[in-house]
Amino acid sequence: MPPFDFVTPSSVDAAIAELRTGAPGEVTVLAGGTDVMFDLDGGKSAPRRVVSLRRLPWRTVDWNGPVLTVGSTLPLRSLERDPELPRQHPGLLQAIRAVGSVQLRHRATLGGNLGRAAPASDLIPVLLALDAEVDVVGPTGARSLSVDQFIRGARSTALASGELIRSVRFPEPRPSAYLWQRVRPANDISQIAVAAAYSPSDHRWRLAVGGIPPRASRVPEAEEMLGTATPTEAATRAAAERAARHLTIVTDRRASEEYRRHLVETLVERAVRAVMVSRPELR
Amino acid sequence: MTPTSLALTVNGKPRAVEDVPASERLLDTVRWRLGLKGTKEGCRSGDCGACTVLVDGVSMLSCLTLTHEVEGTSLTTIEGMADDPVGREVQNAFERAGALQCGYCTPGFVVALAGLLRERGRSATVDELLSDLGGNLCRCTGYLSIARAVALLRPEAP
Amino acid sequence: MHRLSFDRPRRRAAPSGGPLIASGRPDARTKLDGSAVFGADLDVPGMWWAALVPSPVAHGRLRSVDLSPARALEGVVAIGAADLAALLPGATGDPDRPIFPTDTVVYRNQPVAAVAAPTRELARRAARAVRVEVDPLPVISDLEQVFPDWPGSNAESSPYVAAHVRAREGDLDAIFQGAETVVRETYRTSSVHQVALEPHACLAEVKDGKWRVRTCTQTPFGTREDVASLLGVPEESVVVEGTWVGGGFGGKGAALLEPYALLLAKATGRPVRLALGYREEFLLGRTTLPSVIRMETAVTGGRIVGRRVRLLLDVGTSLPGRDFATGYSIGFLLGPYRTPVFEVEGYAVRTNKPAFGPHRAPFAPQCVFVLESHLDHVAREAGLDPLEFRAAHLWKEGDTTPLGQAVGPFGLVTAFELARATAAQWRADAGPDSGVGVAVGFWSTGTGAGGEVRLRLSPTDLTVVQGEREIGSGSVLAGIASVAARSLELPRERVSVAYEDTSSAPFDSGVFGSRTTAALGRAVQAASLTLLEEIGKRLGGSGPVHLAVRAGEIVAEQGSTRRPIRELCSDSERSAGGIVASGRHYGTSGTIDERKVEAGTFYPYTDFTGAAHAAQVTVDRATGTVRVTRYAAFHDVGTVIDPMTAPAQVEGGIVMGLGTALTEEALWSEDGRLLNAGLLDYRIPTLGEVPPIQVTFVEGFAGAGPFGAKGLGEPPMIPVPAAVALAVRDATGAHVTELPLSSERVARALKLL
Repeated sequence: MPPFDFVTPSSVDAAIAELRTGAPGEVTVLAGGTDVMFDLDGGKSAPRRVVSLRRLPWRTVDWNGPVLTVGSTLPLRSLERDPELPRQHPGLLQAIRAVGSVQLRHRATLGGNLGRAAPASDLIPVLLALDAEVDVVGPTGARSLSVDQFIRGARSTALASGELIRSVRFPEPRPSAYLWQRVRPANDISQIAVAAAYSPSDHRWRLAVGGIPPRASRVPEAEEMLGTATPTEAATRAAAERAARHLTIVTDRRASEEYRRHLVETLVERAVRAVMVSRPELR
Repeated sequence: MTPTSLALTVNGKPRAVEDVPASERLLDTVRWRLGLKGTKEGCRSGDCGACTVLVDGVSMLSCLTLTHEVEGTSLTTIEGMADDPVGREVQNAFERAGALQCGYCTPGFVVALAGLLRERGRSATVDELLSDLGGNLCRCTGYLSIARAVALLRPEAP
Repeated sequence: MHRLSFDRPRRRAAPSGGPLIASGRPDARTKLDGSAVFGADLDVPGMWWAALVPSPVAHGRLRSVDLSPARALEGVVAIGAADLAALLPGATGDPDRPIFPTDTVVYRNQPVAAVAAPTRELARRAARAVRVEVDPLPVISDLEQVFPDWPGSNAESSPYVAAHVRAREGDLDAIFQGAETVVRETYRTSSVHQVALEPHACLAEVKDGKWRVRTCTQTPFGTREDVASLLGVPEESVVVEGTWVGGGFGGKGAALLEPYALLLAKATGRPVRLALGYREEFLLGRTTLPSVIRMETAVTGGRIVGRRVRLLLDVGTSLPGRDFATGYSIGFLLGPYRTPVFEVEGYAVRTNKPAFGPHRAPFAPQCVFVLESHLDHVAREAGLDPLEFRAAHLWKEGDTTPLGQAVGPFGLVTAFELARATAAQWRADAGPDSGVGVAVGFWSTGTGAGGEVRLRLSPTDLTVVQGEREIGSGSVLAGIASVAARSLELPRERVSVAYEDTSSAPFDSGVFGSRTTAALGRAVQAASLTLLEEIGKRLGGSGPVHLAVRAGEIVAEQGSTRRPIRELCSDSERSAGGIVASGRHYGTSGTIDERKVEAGTFYPYTDFTGAAHAAQVTVDRATGTVRVTRYAAFHDVGTVIDPMTAPAQVEGGIVMGLGTALTEEALWSEDGRLLNAGLLDYRIPTLGEVPPIQVTFVEGFAGAGPFGAKGLGEPPMIPVPAAVALAVRDATGAHVTELPLSSERVARALKLL
């Protein structure tokens, strides 16, 4: 690996300034570093400078009324152990637990996971289902965009040059569930995953399917079919079928297209049921 | 720019490490500069847990951590477990339960578990602790003796 | 003086999760405090780092290997084929196994050169700088490219065939014609890796005319022999010192890195460290490769009347005549069932992958998966109860194997009945998507390979001096110590096992084949007899000699005479540490009936070690995901030598077997690239997947080891994939004919797709 400089700016402005010192690809941001390491090792990335965010004041969890704001460099494990999370965002907790291992989650961050935009990210489907917003800061100031707008494709985000993710905001607590299919239950990435959530404010469902390149995505047609609050068995099955048909899926050496579609259908059905089971008032 | 001298506390003792390139992994600094070979190099990709160390008491994968990221922190490796009451408890439990065979995964498990016990406190159940050890792979024992060691540490909380 | 006697068969239960067994592991502390030095931990002043230069393609004509860009880097020493003559003057290595290829590369990542430098980074950079030019040739990545169907009659002369074995008895065609039911099936099994957590690593130095290497090897003497052969130097000039081994499982039983490290040590004049990264472990590893197995079984009146077994085994770049797997493994597709009329035939098929190498119980779990699944299926097709059907054919002592060997004491039927009873209990309270499978397997303790030990009896302690390092099972540090303690009637705490390198240790064949406690244990027993005889001479009386501990020291007793060892030692013995006696085990094995063999080599067994397992699973009927919820293992071990390490071997072997059963599969691309060379993408079991395991030992059916012991390192793996597969069938009716039982394969067998 070619040598690089390592800097640890102590303010947001200093961090933004560091990002603008090089051409694209020359400067890499380090949050938890668990993904960046692979790029460095594999030679995919040969930055001249690595900017560590460890000194920035973004390791925060803020519950303000219904809104949860999570600082982008908070280690996932800290969020995982927040006592409010199981009740307010059960699906998010399930998704966080699915990421790697405890050791990994002591370093990995929400910001890092979003910034990487990996197709198999275990967090992005839930963020979509919770209508999370990404707060970004950069040379031209601050802006916010939905996760859906933020994730453009595989390893591609809407971050402009010099911008950093500051926080992720969850507008309201939602009954939610995150279910996945993997080769083994721990320390693995998901082949297919489904996040389901029900919004108490607009009475509509959210369904997001993950694990299929290029990125996790919502399935609005299937969400429609679930209707409001309590879908029937038939409506749930129909929505699951629709979700399975909607996506572009390929066959590779690890799994076939038919099996992947079958998993989508199965997991959508189960995720919706899991949400309803967790909140009896919905039934 | 990249600092040329890094200050760390290692197993309770202040250490300064010189000329560490920015790209160096904590695993390599620990093993080759600090000479502490107890922390093992396994997969080097974050999947096996053999390289687990504690940074300010928190368990991390040293193979995925740049040394410069932990500048100024307090590092604990397997060699430091004997100086820590929780670490010693874990070592004794592993010995009593015969929870090791080839021993390659053992430092990673001991350090990870010591970190967990501190992090989760006395109320964590055996199942919760075992679930949180999912990032440590073992190929020899089949894990059951390790589970018995954990049970020894939590006799009241099955 | 010492008789081996056996009680009638009895059962001793050693349930896991039960009362704490006190640790008998003398290596516990050093492994728990981080002080144990493994191969990759070796670190000496002035040490240089090495790296291998890999072939970029799986098959090709080597046009050139240009080392000059590496040599241009300051401090780098690079060696290739052209440098060997100067490094090894007058030596002719093994022409079939050149250190560096000169003409053709035959598997991807095959080392074509090697470099050394003062730092790891520089060595890596230098290795990448070497320019390798290869003209690609067509790649054979799958044995079915060579033989899409069963090979024709002239196949054995094909350059793709490394070995051909055939044996038969009787007129199978006639039997098949007249049978009530004939069932024909094809199975496929996958490549699995040993995945010891410690990658290969060694430190080499050439000094004073000796090629010295410290390495994490299962076989110090085997490695010495291999290195000497590959380099073309005398064995006595090679010294191998073993370090602690972080798991072997068959993958550290032959030289891999040592020749390159030694050559670089010679070229640089420095100590050179060569270690593999984990990706390289997968890419260069020699292990179990895929197979296609055709089974045909004829049944009449509820009995097997004839069987045909056809094995196509991928052996990678194994050399013709050096394949052991085919002739050995095929026995596990026949036994432990009585088969009056049969035909077995196997081809070892060469593909562009590293050579087939031994795994734990090499290829036996796969064979047993096929055999058990097939016989279960045959029974169902013939309208018979599957367990009754199999039980009716199980070998007992006195039976003859298909290849004419007499079955010795064999506790398999006892183990099987225990497993069957457990399965019945479990089935009685099983839920809707739950099922139970029973599978049997057998193994042979590897005492066909010999070894020697020296005993040293000091006034207070006994030391067993030998040439193996502990690789994890406890067979060296605990097993041999237990045998010594029992043989000499000394307390275990007074016995320790010492290691010496190949320059001074007595020879031993290696830690493999479940042979260590048994073979070295036999050597210990022989040495014990010699020691007691010698002491008897010094006591001057007649009658048996016994040792005992009195007032803190060891004494020898003969009749009414009692003398402390302290007094019986000569001065020189006292300064050398005590009275020394050697003992050997000469490798012995059975014989097969060669008249039944029409081609190739089959291997006899030394003893018959039985295993019966019961597995309970729950199957997710929508996704095909299998979860093992309960497991019980019944092992015919002869005698339990060490009560702590024995159940630990069973637990560990079962969990490893679960990986083979459910999640482990090396995936190869068409151009011979291993696609999942890493611990994320090649999945071994994690803590959360392990069911409660109940371990029961059946004792009393004597094996080849001391006190009738049978080897236990490998048997626990063998029935696992079969037990799981049969449980899946019991739960859902799904009949999976491929390993591993991935959720997709189970889903397909459930007709979900």
